[in-house]
Amino acid sequence: MALATITLLESCNNDDDVMAPEQMATCDDNIMNGDETGVDCGGSCNPCETMGMNPDFTGTFVQVDFMGRPGINTVLSADGATKDAHNVALPSEMVAMFQTAFEARLEQYHDVYAAKLGLDPADVNYENNILGLDAVTVTTVLAADVLQVAPDLPTTYFNPGTDFDNDGRILVPDGDEVALTGRMLSDDIIDVSLILLFGGAEGDRFSGQDVDMDGTPDLPRLTSDGVGLTADILTDFPYIGDPE
Amino acid sequence: MKKTTKYAIGFSILLMATLVFIAADHIDAPGSMATTADIADYFAFEPTEDSDNTTFIVDLQSNVLPDLAYGTFDEDVLTEINIDLDGDLIEDAVIQAIPRNDIMYFFGPAAPSQTGLSGTVLVNSPLGSVAISGATAVTETTDSGVKLFAGPRQDPFFFDFFQFNAVIDPAIDSAPGGFLPPSEATDTFDGANTMTIAVELPNSLLGTPTATNALGLTVYNTWITTNRKQ
Repeated sequence: MALATITLLESCNNDDDVMAPEQMATCDDNIMNGDETGVDCGGSCNPCETMGMNPDFTGTFVQVDFMGRPGINTVLSADGATKDAHNVALPSEMVAMFQTAFEARLEQYHDVYAAKLGLDPADVNYENNILGLDAVTVTTVLAADVLQVAPDLPTTYFNPGTDFDNDGRILVPDGDEVALTGRMLSDDIIDVSLILLFGGAEGDRFSGQDVDMDGTPDLPRLTSDGVGLTADILTDFPYIGDPE
Repeated sequence: MKKTTKYAIGFSILLMATLVFIAADHIDAPGSMATTADIADYFAFEPTEDSDNTTFIVDLQSNVLPDLAYGTFDEDVLTEINIDLDGDLIEDAVIQAIPRNDIMYFFGPAAPSQTGLSGTVLVNSPLGSVAISGATAVTETTDSGVKLFAGPRQDPFFFDFFQFNAVIDPAIDSAPGGFLPPSEATDTFDGANTMTIAVELPNSLLGTPTATNALGLTVYNTWITTNRKQ
């Protein structure tokens, strides 16, 4: 504002119609003048949109919904009361609050399919996943429900990789994985989550296999929901297509 | 985008309350479900390879099913993007967004007035503002290189949610084969819209993280909340 005042002073002094100093434009004279686009705003003053209407932002705001990683509350909280509690919880408290219940829920999902397969639920349990995480560890990691975003690495929620050598493993950890670095609009977080929860060490434990080669799958397909991105993704901000 | 017949099926709110799993966070819990503060989804990514910016996209509300709150940002709802730098899962900075008179106002990133479940708008840390868009996106880029957007967008989430509900149904004869092959599966969210708030800003404004993920990579720990005025 000081610079604008000096500039105006100079222009005034060079003007034949000399303006008295008290008539010069300032950002608090209650007149739209100088280069302002509204009364005392715009141009070299503060933007009008933050001043013109003097919006009221007072008050205390209290948390009513929460999200970190996609699907955590909806997949691993077993009932409405737990889901509501998760939405008004703090990440720093979530492992203590939810890990045990999440682990039980994960086992419950396996029991449901044991029954559908005609097996004893005690015989069908979570197996360590492609990251080598056991049930306690994976539910501990997921219970601390934050989306981790790397500032200096490519973003991928998790890239399950490609079975280039046809050994049946879609990911062979070799120490240079880039994963858990954020979430792209196109990341298939459902399939990744299913692989981590039901895929076992090879990522394909329940993937609709036809074990006896009779043309009919013998194991349920639980590691992919079969759909991909359908929304329009744009190259420019805000990156998502117009509403339909 | 592929057009599909949208759910003529008369799903009621009551029925939805009985569903175990809806989506990424859409309609996830009885308390927030179908309200103007219901979080639908959250994305955070590097907008282009080697970019020094991070993009945050928050989706509120959804019209994926009938009778949901959808289409208007609520002036009593403050949306916050929380950033933890040091790995203690406590927010070191927040970015806030709140609508007033068809404009979305953004504040931060700055330390919150207090950590925890309640807080106030950081009026002394304005980030910028943008007119809330209609069907065509209107964006704003501030002098500090921050890009802002608020308005309706397609819902980019994809999931065969109806089949999922059959999968988790304990009835013995419910989806014994699990999910459907790609030729038979349907993206429930194809054709749905959501109310999007997007912020893209230089990493330098967010601070330098020391937190690491399970693979030892340096990351921001982030999460979003909606917060209702008391």
